[in-house]
Amino acid sequence: MAPPAKAITSPVPDAWYPTLAVFMLAIGLVLTASFFIYEATSSKRNRSLAKELTTGGVASVFLGFGSLFLLLSAGVYV
Amino acid sequence: MEISRFGLLVFTIAILASPALSDLVLSKVDRRIYLTSQIVRISSTLKVENAGSEMVSEVLLAFPELQAKNLAYLMAAQHEGKGKAKNSVVALSVEVASPKDMPPALTFYSVSLPKGLAEGDSFTFDVLAVYTHALQPIPEQITQADIQLVVYQESAYYLSPYVVRVQSLSIKLPDSRIESYTKLENTKIHGSEIKYGPYENLPTFSYSPIVVHFESNQPFAVAQELVREIEVSHWGNVQVTEHYKLVHGGARSKGEFSRLDFQARPNLRGASAFRYLVANLPPRAHSVYYRDEIGNISTSYLWGDSKKTELLIEPRYPMFGGWKTAFTIGYGLPLQDFLYKSEGKRFLNITFSTPMVELIIDTLIVKVVLPEGSSDISVSAPFPVKQWQETKISHLDIDGRPVVVLEKTNVVPEHNQYFQVYYKFNKLSMLREPLMLISGFFFLFVACIVYMHADISISKSSASYLAKQQWEEVQGAIQQVQNIMSRCLTTHDKLEASLRDLSRTGDVQACKAARKAADGLLKELSKELKPLLTFLHSSPSAAQILPKVEELVAKERELQEKVMAKHSTVVDGYEKKSGARDIENRVALQQQKLTALRQEVDNLLEFIDEI
Repeated sequence: MAPPAKAITSPVPDAWYPTLAVFMLAIGLVLTASFFIYEATSSKRNRSLAKELTTGGVASVFLGFGSLFLLLSAGVYV
Repeated sequence: MEISRFGLLVFTIAILASPALSDLVLSKVDRRIYLTSQIVRISSTLKVENAGSEMVSEVLLAFPELQAKNLAYLMAAQHEGKGKAKNSVVALSVEVASPKDMPPALTFYSVSLPKGLAEGDSFTFDVLAVYTHALQPIPEQITQADIQLVVYQESAYYLSPYVVRVQSLSIKLPDSRIESYTKLENTKIHGSEIKYGPYENLPTFSYSPIVVHFESNQPFAVAQELVREIEVSHWGNVQVTEHYKLVHGGARSKGEFSRLDFQARPNLRGASAFRYLVANLPPRAHSVYYRDEIGNISTSYLWGDSKKTELLIEPRYPMFGGWKTAFTIGYGLPLQDFLYKSEGKRFLNITFSTPMVELIIDTLIVKVVLPEGSSDISVSAPFPVKQWQETKISHLDIDGRPVVVLEKTNVVPEHNQYFQVYYKFNKLSMLREPLMLISGFFFLFVACIVYMHADISISKSSASYLAKQQWEEVQGAIQQVQNIMSRCLTTHDKLEASLRDLSRTGDVQACKAARKAADGLLKELSKELKPLLTFLHSSPSAAQILPKVEELVAKERELQEKVMAKHSTVVDGYEKKSGARDIENRVALQQQKLTALRQEVDNLLEFIDEI
């Protein structure tokens, strides 16, 4: 093996996966809750599409990364 | 002196006898045959000497056809002598050769010497040949109580296209119990070791068959097929999954099997069986599992330290001759131990074969599953393998992961060397999986939004539908009214704040400016409010709530007036330079009313909110 070869590590240390999963999923679920509360309480006419999309988008980013880290911490290396 | 003179004579004969070959002579051949396991290893030390005048750079090794077909591994290395470290061995390249004028029943390999041998030069090197399925069980079928006897055939003389001056052979057996062996001159037996030779000055292609029939109760574990899947995840793991199809390759078991006898006296009733297998996994292996076809109801043990992880597995039944079992083991390895980067390419550096101890593999298939998005894949293996590419669809994949498949037959533990799979990978491709999850969740939200926005009632003209439609409109209007009201209240709060600033800084101009801004804003808000109120008046569904809304609007207006009045009073007071106490007294009454009104407005807002 060539000496200049450098070991590749994962971008996030393995030990952080469970913590990251918990926190990101918690934030994601709170945002999801706020999204659905907004959907249910605001009347059809006053609903702003931009607000819905931003809340949904941010929530899905957190839920997406949260579930990825959940999978990784459970041993399903994607 | 006697020997050397005789040697010279033979040497002359040899030159005459084989003019086609180079004038090499093997001045010393030392062979050691290890029959201590099911894998036959022949380690030979050859000393070649150039007796001719031409330079020679290649030495031929001959194998009879019977042996050649069982030959799994052949390696030649410069002889280092005893006592020296083994890791400094220089391997010599070995290739299949087909020289002319040679008997067709022989297979030849040529060993390239590091430098050409001039006249009279000599060179010593070691050859290790490893054979599989070279031990033949005789009798072919045994009962549970029998021991396993195997036969091994070899030549007492080193088969070579060169003249051999001095040679000796030693055969190491697993046990001192020997059924029979061929006796030649100079045969000695010493415990579990048989020695033939030394023999001197034998011509080319000397052959004298010997047969050893001996007891061998070593595990004859043969994997008919082993599929190793190595899956690389850049998120920090190399997952290895190995599917074994194992058979006991020794003498076939006949008669019936008694578990009771086996449990009671395993050494007598089941000597030929093996009950466990040991695998030496790499250090820091984690998530190790072992299961067979129907799950894990068998036993396994795992030890580990910083140098290795050792796994011992027991199949569900002891393995007797001809019995088969299929099982799977899997383990995860830390990425940084096996994946490296050099010159813009990434490469996986991992062992080729099984971690199992002393296992013969008939067909080994190694699948390296690279992450999705890898390109420019190439493999560098220390020995020839058949290779092709596949794709595998796994977790969160779109177009599948590239898989490099390597196939090799007749694999022995000596093949457990490192091989490399080089590939190119863009770091951004790692975001594929999270992006997929994110888009999945996002589509869910979008679906909700669409559902909430879409009008999916079937009859658009029914009374209830229209009523609902109207009620929604009213709701919308009321929400807007609420919104305007709350903005009004914020403006009031701002005015109050400006008054507080005034009392602190005494800046009348700033306070007046704030008043002006608030006036403008409130005017605009009341303009906005007008159409909403007319709509509510016209709408029949709003009849219930209308009085409350009107009350709210009226109260708010009153509040507004009072706030303005208070503001004017205070500002006037400041302009006239009245004392702070004076102003406070004048405002006190207004302030009381204000608080009461504010309370009422808040109550009304809450009430409307509940509807």
